[in-house]
Amino acid sequence: MPKLTINGQAVEVPAGTNLIEAARKVGVEVPHYCYHPALSIAGQCRLCMVDIEKTPRPTIACNTPASDGMVVWTETDRVKETRKSIMEFHLINHPLDCPVCDQAGECWLQIYYMRYGLYDPRMRDEKVHKPKAVPLGPHVMLDAERCILCSRCVRFCDEVTGTGELGIFHRGDDSEIGLFPGKELVNKYSGNVVDICPVGALTDRDFRFAVRVWYLDSTASICPGCARGCNIEVHVNRRRPHHNEGRRVARLKPRFNADVNRWWICDDGRYGFTFVDDKTRLVAPSSREDGAVSDATWEEAIAAIVGALGRFAPAEIGVFASPKMANEDLWALRRVLEQCGIRRVAFRVPPPVPGDEDTLLIRSDKNPNSRGAELLGLDGDGAAILRAACVRQVKCLWVFGHDLLASAWDPAETDAALRALSLLIFIGTNSNATSERAQWVLPAAAWVEREGTYTNFEGRVQRFRQAVEPLGQALPEWDILGRVLQALGAEVGAPRAERWFRELTSGVPAFGGMSYQAIGDTGAVLNAPSAGQPRSEPASRTPLR
Amino acid sequence: MSASTVAFSDAQLAEVRRLQALYPDARAALLPVLHMAQETFGHISLEAEEYVAGLFDVTPAHVHEVVTFYTLFFRQPKGRHVVAVCHNLSCHLAGAPEIIAHVMRRLGIGVGATTDDGRVTLQAVECLCACEHAPMMQVDDRYEFGLTPEKVDQILEGLR
Repeated sequence: MPKLTINGQAVEVPAGTNLIEAARKVGVEVPHYCYHPALSIAGQCRLCMVDIEKTPRPTIACNTPASDGMVVWTETDRVKETRKSIMEFHLINHPLDCPVCDQAGECWLQIYYMRYGLYDPRMRDEKVHKPKAVPLGPHVMLDAERCILCSRCVRFCDEVTGTGELGIFHRGDDSEIGLFPGKELVNKYSGNVVDICPVGALTDRDFRFAVRVWYLDSTASICPGCARGCNIEVHVNRRRPHHNEGRRVARLKPRFNADVNRWWICDDGRYGFTFVDDKTRLVAPSSREDGAVSDATWEEAIAAIVGALGRFAPAEIGVFASPKMANEDLWALRRVLEQCGIRRVAFRVPPPVPGDEDTLLIRSDKNPNSRGAELLGLDGDGAAILRAACVRQVKCLWVFGHDLLASAWDPAETDAALRALSLLIFIGTNSNATSERAQWVLPAAAWVEREGTYTNFEGRVQRFRQAVEPLGQALPEWDILGRVLQALGAEVGAPRAERWFRELTSGVPAFGGMSYQAIGDTGAVLNAPSAGQPRSEPASRTPLR
Repeated sequence: MSASTVAFSDAQLAEVRRLQALYPDARAALLPVLHMAQETFGHISLEAEEYVAGLFDVTPAHVHEVVTFYTLFFRQPKGRHVVAVCHNLSCHLAGAPEIIAHVMRRLGIGVGATTDDGRVTLQAVECLCACEHAPMMQVDDRYEFGLTPEKVDQILEGLR
């Protein structure tokens, strides 16, 4: 492993490490535009120049591997002067768009100009004009004038998605990025080109002109869109609620996790949060009698559930847990089921069309916590529960989030099953055809409105945190279920997600020894022998007691 | 040009394979193959770019990059003859602007355009490495030196 010195600090790095990464190791940032650790080296922007002793002139750090005995200086007068000149080149044709540019506030041209540029402009000629506000696809907008031709987006499409839609056309100061005429940027990961664009050339159509980025707050979270559990940041707009028509979640951004999603998320995940502020959100408990819906208090709702749990025999009650519920919720549900002796429980409801899957991130299971629900022993036969309802063996059905009428199951049979029920209780974030049939509908908080953990398909337990307040009276499922347990006379501690997680870690061996602290921001892998495998063996599941 | 006519003959396809085998990265043969395409189809249409992309297992965007980079690839149908007048430094000092203006008057077209009868395409180009004979121009594959308006008239007359 080569040992070198960067700005006087000694560092040892694996062979082949370039000087940008080596400098990062000792906390030195080498400014750059085109270099990205996930992509091939382009050497295009020339900004990462550093001085290396015994080398006649500054060298680009991105394409220089660290070697033994190298002495690197990143802040010499010559390097600073070089950076300034290169910034001047980059900005020759760059429009003064900042006041109307979405990138302002998180733009590396602005940041590096303030840090290393600060020259008086010498250009007197007209700037070269190029196409502006060109939609490249459903999610990405191109402003060719703002582009500095770093080619990150081109390399992303070539090397990460392998779709190769983008290119740099023409040459010299006519060069511009674009698509083959008539084509669209429609790959499943197109939003990532906006993230890696260091300037305002590629912006997000969904976020365009919505909120100034300096009004956003960021919360570490997990994408609930599939079993991968990509690490994300939830950007919320609390400080200017009148912007963007009151939409609270402004955008989702990928959060680096070397073991899960690296720098990326898919478009389905990135734009899949709209249900949070949707008109279909359930905001208050309600009951339906003879077609008339009336709001109820939580006390009335809990009393109604507890009453039902006592009125029906345990064998007459069926429960559809959801693989979209957090581990904490599922554990609280399991406590309720054990308290009442209910054994008819399932969580899988097959989707009408099988989910798509690829080799990069996207999993066909569009639920974030199927693995958790399996490990908690909730994996029963859902179709059998519906069949039992048809013949009135099950009379009370308790559904978490699912729309049973929009599944792969025969809608007529599901309809008959729902029709035969004496009582249908629905708990979820949004209304759907199934909730429309329920006698009791209870509002659950969406994942961005609460905290919890999901277990991904690889057995990695990851935390998501609260970014916004729950809408209306919505509560996390663990809270609702905790109230039910309490009303049933069981011992329930402090109403906090972490408490339920602690209880879960002592109840399910696979989670043993875990804590919110240990999970941290990057997750922790289950410790049961086979728990780290994508599909668990039945033996590793803990059966209902 | 319709899509169905954008196709190489079997002999040309064999030549494409021969060219691709010459380089460690087959993509390096893109330039000679694009020249073949231009000779065969007259100009390189978007259909031709897509066709060539298919021969190389690269995306059409990457063929488009190459075609738009080089000025000697014609993306529109060109005239039967191409007149390329140098307007770089030496030729400029020796009177290229007047020569270009004269050709434009004679042909009744601007730089970059083709006469209505499809006879001549006019270009203004950078240095063609014949400064000692400035002002000069290239007509198809020949160089024409020491241009005067009279000489230009004579040359244009000869283009049919």
